[in-house]
Amino acid sequence: MHLVVQALILGILTGGVYALMASGQTLIFGIMKVINLAQGAYVILGAYLTMSLFQWTHIDPFLLILLTTPLLFVIGAATQWFLLRPLRPDDAVELSLLVTFAVALGLEGLMSVLYKTTLRSIQPGYENHSWTIAGYQINEVRFYAFLLSIAMLIILYLLLQKTKFGRAVRATVQNPMSAQLLGVNSKLVSAFGFGLGVATSAAAGAVFGLITPFNPGSHYDLISRLLTVVILGGLGSIGGSVIAAMVMGIGAALVSALSEPVWADFTFFAVLILVLLFRPQGMFGTKARGAL
Amino acid sequence: MKLGNTKVSKRGLITAGVVSVALITSSLVTTVGTSANAAGTLKIGVSLSLTGDFSDSGLAAQRGYTLWQQEVNKKGGILGRTVSFKIVNDASSPDQVVTNYTNLITKDKVDIVMGPFSSLLTVPASRVAKRYGYSFIEPAGGGPKVFAEKNPNLFFVQPAATTKGGDVFADYILSLPAASRPKTAGYVKLDDPFAAPLADNIKARFEAAGIKTVYDHTYPSETADMTPIISALAATKPDVVVGGTQSADAFAQVKAMIQLKFSPSWLFLSNGASSPLEFPQQIGLKNTEGVFTSSDWYPKSTAPGSAAFIKAYIAKFGGVATSIDGTSAEAYSAGTLLEQVAAKTKKIDNKTIIATLHKGSWPTLVGNLSWNAYGEPQGAYLLTQWQGGQLTTVWPKASAQKTPLAPKPAWVG
Amino acid sequence: MTRNGLIRAGLFFGVLIALPFFSTSQWLTNMFIFTLMYVALASSWNLIGGYAGYPSLGHAAFFGFGAYFTAIVFTDSVGYGWSPFLFLPVVGISAAIISIPIGYVAMKTRADVFAIVTITLLFMAQTLAFNMHKLTGGAQGKGIAVPSFDPATFGRPFYFGMLALAALAMGASMYFRQSKIGLSLSAIRSDEDKALGVGVQVNRVKVLGFAISVGITAMAGGVWAYYEGFVYPQFAVDPLITIGMVLMTFLGGRATLWGPVLGAFILVPAQQYLSYQLGANQFYLLAYAAIFLITMLVLPRGVIPTISDKIWLKKKQREAQA
Repeated sequence: MHLVVQALILGILTGGVYALMASGQTLIFGIMKVINLAQGAYVILGAYLTMSLFQWTHIDPFLLILLTTPLLFVIGAATQWFLLRPLRPDDAVELSLLVTFAVALGLEGLMSVLYKTTLRSIQPGYENHSWTIAGYQINEVRFYAFLLSIAMLIILYLLLQKTKFGRAVRATVQNPMSAQLLGVNSKLVSAFGFGLGVATSAAAGAVFGLITPFNPGSHYDLISRLLTVVILGGLGSIGGSVIAAMVMGIGAALVSALSEPVWADFTFFAVLILVLLFRPQGMFGTKARGAL
Repeated sequence: MKLGNTKVSKRGLITAGVVSVALITSSLVTTVGTSANAAGTLKIGVSLSLTGDFSDSGLAAQRGYTLWQQEVNKKGGILGRTVSFKIVNDASSPDQVVTNYTNLITKDKVDIVMGPFSSLLTVPASRVAKRYGYSFIEPAGGGPKVFAEKNPNLFFVQPAATTKGGDVFADYILSLPAASRPKTAGYVKLDDPFAAPLADNIKARFEAAGIKTVYDHTYPSETADMTPIISALAATKPDVVVGGTQSADAFAQVKAMIQLKFSPSWLFLSNGASSPLEFPQQIGLKNTEGVFTSSDWYPKSTAPGSAAFIKAYIAKFGGVATSIDGTSAEAYSAGTLLEQVAAKTKKIDNKTIIATLHKGSWPTLVGNLSWNAYGEPQGAYLLTQWQGGQLTTVWPKASAQKTPLAPKPAWVG
Repeated sequence: MTRNGLIRAGLFFGVLIALPFFSTSQWLTNMFIFTLMYVALASSWNLIGGYAGYPSLGHAAFFGFGAYFTAIVFTDSVGYGWSPFLFLPVVGISAAIISIPIGYVAMKTRADVFAIVTITLLFMAQTLAFNMHKLTGGAQGKGIAVPSFDPATFGRPFYFGMLALAALAMGASMYFRQSKIGLSLSAIRSDEDKALGVGVQVNRVKVLGFAISVGITAMAGGVWAYYEGFVYPQFAVDPLITIGMVLMTFLGGRATLWGPVLGAFILVPAQQYLSYQLGANQFYLLAYAAIFLITMLVLPRGVIPTISDKIWLKKKQREAQA
């Protein structure tokens, strides 16, 4: 029983980290119907930036997020403006996949040149510290990450519901043509939206760098997890991807702890396929163009 | 335009022209090839993982080879011939490693080839070498599948097959009086050609001696979060934990143990803990105390030539002795084997290398090596343990520099 | 099939058949084996991704299926060395049959969602390959017995194997273009609902296209496994294989006959060259990504459609001036 509860705690905390990463991915898909295969690479970039800034300034990594977030926002918006905007709408799906994959490769190459491929982590000194509460271990960094996820999601929610920009984004998601007719500058919305999605990787990267050793090649594992979370949650639904991330985190933790770790991912994929068979739009997705 | 009665397009003619040129060029390619080995150069071809998953070790191997090249050329090369290396990158991919060795042997026509990094890449690469009759001295492929290839051209430059890496730990544990021995054991293994068989080997010996297995699970290589697994491991309260690991997951395992406040009395990690620089960097120097691993070469090794090797390495690459990766020493040793064959037989062709190395015992930085018919070395590793912030030999007693420390001290936050 | 087309095809295959006899250089044969493999892969991807407009990102799963099927059957012995080649049709047809229910369900979704569903299938296949230890050997990999081909011309049988598959894929591509299937597929690509409304046998045609496409992909996987000699899960079921297929088809021109071929002939040698020459430093990835991006931005429709558009435009201009 103790093991089950401990595994649950671990799963919830890990789920929080994935929720943070997935929110950006699903936002991008929701706005632009673009599957950003470079999302994982941006997270790793965020991790490296945080690590370098930390080594240079010794400011706490969580505080450094305030610096890295705007930086990644700009990088993201620039990527969209220069590399994705020129693509023709007919081919946008496949081409954007290829373009974002190329961006991921390019980022990996750039980081390999700058940082080499030694495994790194961000080590402010408290990264392995856990609080013991009622006999259960709660890791400090993951707990902060969980709080951070909640904070970012609240910020995203407020952005999308209460600001003019947010309304423009939602309009574009629902019906791009009408939105344009109503005066929404879809080009700007796309660039800003993509920038925003990438900006979430700053926080995600800081957290990831604290928890796991990483190198430029780590983005492959990340992207496969992110994609499955986003699909399960429902393409374009941020709330859905959060819940899916939690389901994935908890599910994987329970299977790893109680059964065979090697099947942890597979049971998740099996669940995913089952869900897709009956609800191709994922748990909370709207009936996107292209779904059943 | 018309050619007789057939209307042939201009495009068709151009195509025909291009085609004939292609055919002629290709037949020339066979005959000319690339620059023939300049009289006196001994060209050695190696495919290394300079990018990708294995790149840290690949780069370490590269340093070992180039250091050896520098040292041997200072002494006049091999049989008067200057040694030159052609090192190409396989990006840790088996497809590329097959292409690379095919190219090195048939296009660049190197005289000798040496092995890539990891058992995963060594297996397909060794087939290519065997096909063309090349010897295959390789410093980094020692998993069971490598020797299952039954390749008589292959020579693994480490003291024993890597599954035996844990044997020396089992020797030590089983040498303890029954009262001080661990009663229960947990095995947490990476799904990998190197790590899992090594841990399973230890398990077989422990179980035969009555040490009860309370946890035995494998995790996939892309496991991001080791905490649930370690949590389950900790719940079974094993006295000794055997980690079948590579580097990244070794660090992750230890970090998870620290976070979950689980400190077993004995902890053995097959890899990762053997990285003199990375291990303390990743988990904290104070946390390394008492962790066991097995090594062939490490900075405090007393193998002949080690001091000179360290000196030359630091002179060329900087750093300190503890920043030298064992893979560099293994690659360097591969080179010294060639030197020794040449000194003994006054020849350095592939057939001679293969015939000569199969007889007798050969001293290197990683120990005295001798092989069976299929390249499996017949020696044993050293059991090393972190004590006072450094790796030191603790078993077998004859080579030990310090006595083993047990139980392992608690983690330091 | 126009006379010019026939001549082109004849020359193309004629040269390729003659090549190994003009040049016994193993490294060249090696390069062509991979090039022709991608010709087969890209052309077969084109059947479903190009003509039908269903961008499958999971084809590597079937490539891996073919690789493992061949490896498992021939792990101990390959007879005189020809058995694995003769076994290929079994591999192809098995893959095609398995793909029918998968394709049927997956193709209930469209475009972007279909892409994601197929990626998921790929990850599932990779996990299965890793975890079914008894069958696949798991992370330890699965070996195929070594054939006793003459080392001097070792690559030749594999070369011809890949060449045959390339011919098969291009043949299928050509057949699709000329027949009702091709018309149906392009109707589906333009507007599936309208096609359904007009009476096109949408489901049947889609599933058939998918089945043929993956059947050829699986056979390519079988030859590849035999040539490499050793199959590992992360390399047999590798997203990069799919990306390669897709990129080459896009570069050369989707829904054309020669587009994927051209794409393969440009990218495979380039990738091998870059990797061999530049790989020793880390700039290899950057160079690759740069080529990728430039291709996507400058030639979004692919080389062949862009060139044929220009030729067509010139022709119209000349006619207008005449």
